[in-house]
Amino acid sequence: MKNKKLIWILLLLALWQAVALSGRVSPLTFPSLGMILKALVSSIMAGELLSQTVFSLVIILEGLLIGTLLALVLAIVSRTGDTMNSFVDTLITLAHPLPGIALLPIIILWLGTGRSAIVFIIVHSVLWPLLLNIIAGFKATPKLYSDVGRNIGLRGIKLFYDIYMPSSLPYLISGFKIAWARSWRALISAEMVFGAVGGKGGLGWYIFKQRVFMDTAGMFAALLLIMLIGILIEEVFFNKIEKQTIRRWGMAEK
Amino acid sequence: MIELKEVNKSFKRDQDTLKVLENISFTVEKGEILCILGASGSGKSTLLRLMGGFDFCDSGSISIGSEAVVSPSPDSILIFQDFNQLLPWKTVLQNVIYPMKVNKKYGSEQQRRDRAMEYLEMVQLADFYNAYPHQLSGGMKQRAAIARALALEPSILLMDEPFGSLDALTRQSLQELLLQIWKRAGVTIIFVTHDIQEAIILADRIIVMDNKPGRIKDIVQNSFDRPRDISGGDYLELYHRLYSMLSV
Repeated sequence: MKNKKLIWILLLLALWQAVALSGRVSPLTFPSLGMILKALVSSIMAGELLSQTVFSLVIILEGLLIGTLLALVLAIVSRTGDTMNSFVDTLITLAHPLPGIALLPIIILWLGTGRSAIVFIIVHSVLWPLLLNIIAGFKATPKLYSDVGRNIGLRGIKLFYDIYMPSSLPYLISGFKIAWARSWRALISAEMVFGAVGGKGGLGWYIFKQRVFMDTAGMFAALLLIMLIGILIEEVFFNKIEKQTIRRWGMAEK
Repeated sequence: MIELKEVNKSFKRDQDTLKVLENISFTVEKGEILCILGASGSGKSTLLRLMGGFDFCDSGSISIGSEAVVSPSPDSILIFQDFNQLLPWKTVLQNVIYPMKVNKKYGSEQQRRDRAMEYLEMVQLADFYNAYPHQLSGGMKQRAAIARALALEPSILLMDEPFGSLDALTRQSLQELLLQIWKRAGVTIIFVTHDIQEAIILADRIIVMDNKPGRIKDIVQNSFDRPRDISGGDYLELYHRLYSMLSV
């Protein structure tokens, strides 16, 4: 499977190169692989692309962290009784369909165009899918496990932590995958709209800026970097976590 | 030591009220094996859950010693029919150690570990201590669940058709194993089953349940010497007696 993917990627790259070198497209709008790679290497060497990437990743991590904490708190609150359950349910119904980027004008009005505005948008795009998945995980926890837990003397928060959490791990992980993808998207679009935040602008701003300079190869270099980071997180990071937990425990694909 | 007095239980489904248990009274002596024998729908699993404190009865009382049963307790462990009662994210050994740890039993982690290994040896699972539950067969999982329960040294084991989903050979070997362990541990066992033969092999007394609503039809003394070879004529007589009670 992995090898097949690699072959397809190579084929697509070859196709790209063939089109770029065919002479029918202008290298100004459709740069060759060599130009893109050169732009990638030179902008990494110059330090700007990397520092913009780090800037973006730090914001994402911050948003993910806050979003996760909020999701956990709300999930626990929703378990405390029917009233709270319906409250959290209502919140999700209202907020989940709202794309983060649609909130932009309001957020600019409230928080300005600073860093905190981007973090806010990321928290919004992380919180709801994560919360939905955590709650689904709790609901899918077999009664058998909680019976066993109560039988051996677990109650309250301990029951929650030792039984419900590990039992909903498959849901948590897929929630994080969705959250990661959404936050990444929200971040790039927010950075493009906001422009340079606090002197830096992040990856989104970098891509936008390269267009102004008509540096097409540079734009693609940044896109390539975004893809590479995505693959790294998806295939390496999440894959590794799944291998060490739910796949090892026979809990994957339920 | 366990006493049930006029226990009633019904479930509400939409508008209907379904009476599951009616006027159940009996006592269980310390150290005996009591089988509750009944067809499906006789409320025998519900009865066991009530005794374990997992559900509440509508009226009547259930007490262990002199204390009323109000919630599940590590002193009476329920073993389910479902093979998935082990926690899948823990190895077999961790599954056995964990309840002891929660109850802060037996001092150090090393002592708990030694103890867990002892019980895993008792159920012939010592070689699989490092396996995860999904790597075990159904019979092995049930053995591990028994080891987990016994390691806590509960005074009561509540068993809800624990061997019901196993093949005949595995079931027989687990029945023998249970009897060996029971002799050694001196635990009181309440064993729910629909299998007449199983009840004859295991029980000191057999409570025969009537269907819909679940009522006690009869309590039959079973004083054959152990080990019991159920091919003999006397056993057959008991078998037919129980069979005719169940099928009316």
